[in-house]
Amino acid sequence: MKEKRRSTLIILLSLAFGMLALTFASSALFRLFCEKTGHGGTTQVARKMPTRVENRMITVRFNADTQRDLPWEFKPLQKQITVKAGEVGLAYYHGKNKSSAHTVGMATYNVTPHKAGIYFNKVECFCFLEQHLEAGQETDFPVQFFIDPDIVKDPTMDDVDTITLSYTFFPLAKGTNLKW
Amino acid sequence: MAYAATADYVHVDDHPTGWRRWVLSTNHKDIGTMYILFGAFGALFGSVLSLLIRLQLAHPGGTLLAGEEFQIYNVVITAHGLLMIFFFVMPVLIGGFGNWFVPLMIGAPDMAFPRLNNISFWLLIPSLILLTLSIVVGSGAGTGWTFYPPLSSVGQPGAAVDFMLVSLHLAGASSILGAINFITTIFNMRAPGMTMHKVPLFVWGILITAFLLLLAVPVLAGAITMLLTDRGFGTTFFEPAGGGDPLLFQHLFWFFGHPEVYIMILPAFGVISQVISTFARKPVFGYLGMAYAMVSIGVIGFVVWAHHMFAVGLDVNVNAYFTAATLIIAVPTGIKIFSWIATMWGGSLTFETPMLYAIGFIILFVIGGVTGVTLANGGVDISLHDTYFVVAHFHYVLSMGALFGIFAGFYYWFPKMTGKMIPNWMGNIHFWITFIGVNVIFFPMHFLGLAGMPRRIPDYPDAFSAWNYVASIGAVMTFAGAIYFAFIVFYGFKWGKKAPANPWGEGATTLEWTLSSPPPFHTFETQPHIS
Repeated sequence: MKEKRRSTLIILLSLAFGMLALTFASSALFRLFCEKTGHGGTTQVARKMPTRVENRMITVRFNADTQRDLPWEFKPLQKQITVKAGEVGLAYYHGKNKSSAHTVGMATYNVTPHKAGIYFNKVECFCFLEQHLEAGQETDFPVQFFIDPDIVKDPTMDDVDTITLSYTFFPLAKGTNLKW
Repeated sequence: MAYAATADYVHVDDHPTGWRRWVLSTNHKDIGTMYILFGAFGALFGSVLSLLIRLQLAHPGGTLLAGEEFQIYNVVITAHGLLMIFFFVMPVLIGGFGNWFVPLMIGAPDMAFPRLNNISFWLLIPSLILLTLSIVVGSGAGTGWTFYPPLSSVGQPGAAVDFMLVSLHLAGASSILGAINFITTIFNMRAPGMTMHKVPLFVWGILITAFLLLLAVPVLAGAITMLLTDRGFGTTFFEPAGGGDPLLFQHLFWFFGHPEVYIMILPAFGVISQVISTFARKPVFGYLGMAYAMVSIGVIGFVVWAHHMFAVGLDVNVNAYFTAATLIIAVPTGIKIFSWIATMWGGSLTFETPMLYAIGFIILFVIGGVTGVTLANGGVDISLHDTYFVVAHFHYVLSMGALFGIFAGFYYWFPKMTGKMIPNWMGNIHFWITFIGVNVIFFPMHFLGLAGMPRRIPDYPDAFSAWNYVASIGAVMTFAGAIYFAFIVFYGFKWGKKAPANPWGEGATTLEWTLSSPPPFHTFETQPHIS
């Protein structure tokens, strides 16, 4: 009787601690899930350049936001560009530090419609790294991207002719060590 | 056991006296009693706050809770929600009725881990003290009971929110320990012949609740810990500036939060099954269906959490899944409702107070269930999200579902627990005051919500004033009913007739009715055998 109770206790305790461990792992798992599935419009990092170009025109629009604690002016230099699926596009954003202090920012990003995230590949992006701006400094931020030509094979993407790429710059807390 | 050899030593009612009996208690009945008293205090505390909310909202432009730019109002609604969930419904239904009647119903001598049981209860006292501190320290914790970041992380930096979070940590630890105790007891300590398919439905309700607690509360504990480190130690789990995601908190919170609503209602389901079977003088219709309906509600309850998040911008396919999964819960719930009705069908019905509360429960729970099916639709919810329609919905299932379950159980088991009878007519008057009162409060909230009144606001446009006034009248009425209830309990103790072992007749077939009222301190002297 006592042994039975003890073994039940051990099983139940490990269930509870297992759930607790999963919860702490969820932060990393959630990020991994978004990256792998494009959930929430998470864009992909290109491993290799596209090998073909499909005759499918897609308009990419650019959006820029800045969290209010970061004294930056941040805007896209072009409203939109139109590329073919598989064609590499290059766009620029412009950032200016309006304050009189050195500030560090890091941009979060996604695309809408969310389902296009899995097809939106970035070759090079300012959002991969933290950005330093000295007092009053201005700079252009490039983003190089392409849309996976396989998008033409996916019937659920047939209605997608416009993709909005969105960035929000956040101030980077001191001492934060980022591994995105 | 040490005394067993001494033939003339009667230890049935032997117990420590004075404060030792309670503070050091390892007796499931005494601990159950303390849980019920604790829950009654939490209920009173939470009800006073809800009355304050309704007084603030009785007329447009209310100033009662307007202090600190309405932060006081935010603090009051936050504390109201947390008190009612963690310090009223859970202690009374699980800790109170569960501790009292699970061992009795399965023929066990006590809980599996009596000292753990003591810890579970006494953890709640510091927890409640911390929650009280979160109301009064600084400008209070005004985050809502869901404490979403960034409001709860960077929005309210004062110590009050930390007090609230640590309070929930303690309440959560108490719940997990209690859950382990219940599961171990039910799995290992049933009397001979009491197979799992013979245990009363109340025990099934507690068992499934305990599993939900065991799997859901650690997730809350983890989320709270991350929030605390975000607040105090510079981590960025939920802070986009450091690569975190505030939506992750909502996922974690509702992964706990949705099972939590079943944690509150499943024990009430169990109580209602016992009460209806007793007063219909028939066994419950479809016992196995009833038990496994609760199992499937518990299981499905873990895969529907994002229906609380339809408006956060999830993908349309994700919303479609969570809509469909949520609607499926209506099936086992329907099985329960129809089985209760089928139990009453052709039964020899009498309408003592517990039965009135049980029937009231069915009516109100169905209303809350129907609005739940409405809100389960992701498309509809975009429009109704965070309106008073949602407030009406969850108060119909919880404030009235769980509350009526508690009252049904309390009137049903009061003679057993105390050995005193409460006159039927007194309880029946209380039922009608409460039934009418809560409907006057919450039914108009459907109209307010459909008309677009948002929840969690301390003031509103004049167009909403009429139904708000009606709701406030209902709140005063219900509160008067609560005071009358306190009088009834006092009357029962002071002047109530002595209760026989089984006051409810041949329909009361579970084991607790084979014992005297109140039962001896230690049960069972001879182990029951179930054939």
